Amino acid sequence: MSAGGVSVRGLAGAYVPGRDALRDVSFAAGAGEIVGVLGPNGGGKTTLFRALLGELPIRRGAVELAGRPAYVPQTERARLDFPVSAFDVVLMGAYARTAWFRRVAARDRAAAQAALDRVGLPDSATASFGALSGGQRQRVLIARALLQDAPVLLLDEPLSGVDSVSAARIEALFAELRQEGRTLLVATHDVRQAGEWDRVLCLNGRQVDYGRPAAVLSPETLRETYGGDLIVLEGGGRAIGVGHHGHAH
Amino acid sequence: MLDLSAPYIQRALLEMLLLAVPAGLLGSWIVLRRLAFFAHAVGTASFPGLVLASAWGIAPPLAALATALGFGVAQERLERSGRMGADAATGLLLVGCLAAGVVLASDVFESGAEVDTLLFGSLIGLTAGDVWLTAAVVAGVVALEAGLRRHWLGTGFEPAGARALGLRPVAADRLLLAGIAATAVVALDSVGALLVTVVLVVPAATARLLTSRLAPLQLVAMLLAAVEGVAAVWLADALNVGAGPAMAVLGGGVFAAVAGATALRARAVPA
Repeated sequence: MSAGGVSVRGLAGAYVPGRDALRDVSFAAGAGEIVGVLGPNGGGKTTLFRALLGELPIRRGAVELAGRPAYVPQTERARLDFPVSAFDVVLMGAYARTAWFRRVAARDRAAAQAALDRVGLPDSATASFGALSGGQRQRVLIARALLQDAPVLLLDEPLSGVDSVSAARIEALFAELRQEGRTLLVATHDVRQAGEWDRVLCLNGRQVDYGRPAAVLSPETLRETYGGDLIVLEGGGRAIGVGHHGHAH
Repeated sequence: MLDLSAPYIQRALLEMLLLAVPAGLLGSWIVLRRLAFFAHAVGTASFPGLVLASAWGIAPPLAALATALGFGVAQERLERSGRMGADAATGLLLVGCLAAGVVLASDVFESGAEVDTLLFGSLIGLTAGDVWLTAAVVAGVVALEAGLRRHWLGTGFEPAGARALGLRPVAADRLLLAGIAATAVVALDSVGALLVTVVLVVPAATARLLTSRLAPLQLVAMLLAAVEGVAAVWLADALNVGAGPAMAVLGGGVFAAVAGATALRARAVPA
């Protein structure tokens, strides 16, 4: 079990020299905290994760992590026609600690099966990854991150387009991981859901705001984050949802 | 019947059996990673190198390897420049290499037969040194597979997340391309510059129709390449044709038969 923690100060980074993909990002999240990362498509959510993974050239600022983070990508980034089973995919979480000339250790294989059990897919080990539903594939990728045993997890829209069973299982798992002291950064378009987590980070090429949901999720901040067209308001002006391509959640 | 006592037949059979190993190991990655066009192009691109080797009296494998690696580097640079996609870069360079090879060949060779040998291969011309060189490349390919299998699997499955898994996608992919280039170069003698894909792509593409798991895919591709290679030697000897064209006809026929059978089975058993 690992204690998490993320600290980012004045971060600016660019894929192309001279054109910052993300700038002015400063936040800190402690162990056992879930941070909802909000922003429009292209607003810098995945770019922030790339910076935390060390894959984005950082021009200014500093990043401190409690350890090597695990990354859970969007399922559509994976090749569904690749000849891998769910178990094969989970086992990839042990590659970093397995010498090239060795088989993945028996304890890691057992841990991979345990991770599949934990995400509610105990009988899917031999199933082809591409044959699983979108929600099941997302749970397999989360199981892979569990096997990495990382103190910090970066999850790229893990709840987008998943079925309700998978969504419930994933949210329950988030609560367990929080209890274990891990830090979760969860990119999402679901403002209501982000409001239930510990902190919210709003990005739109730069950091718009960061803090407790009650302080951050104001209509003004969301408008600045997404632009006015995408805000859906309910009752007393409370933002309840901002979705992909204008769909409210 | 094959005269198994004839040294050139022995060398030809050994060469084809050796090539079956990378046909299974690398061929599967070529199919899975969608590198078939690169595999075809890197073999064909070595044509001008072979012509120059003949003109200048240098070792053909060295010239072919230099050309193939130069092709790979140029392709990667073009692709990384962001100005064109991988396929476009491969196509552009392929046309350039082929054109250069044809122009050089018209100045260097007096007879078209020599050009045919470069393009379609010849089993008669295989020397013991060629077979030893193939054996060395096969050993290298086995070592690459052992060391980089996880990198190729993780990178191919999900390129964006490979580094986060502790993998080294860029270095591993460069070595994959280098392994393909080296295998294409040693396959030139037997199947020729134009038909490298009959060894590197067709058996694996056929095996892909039969299995959806990696290890069986590699094993079936290897067995297919071995059987087709041996049959191609027999056909080439019996009909006095090149082994490359013989294997192309055999491989194409087997692929068509398997594709037809799997399509019929899929129709009989609806999902």
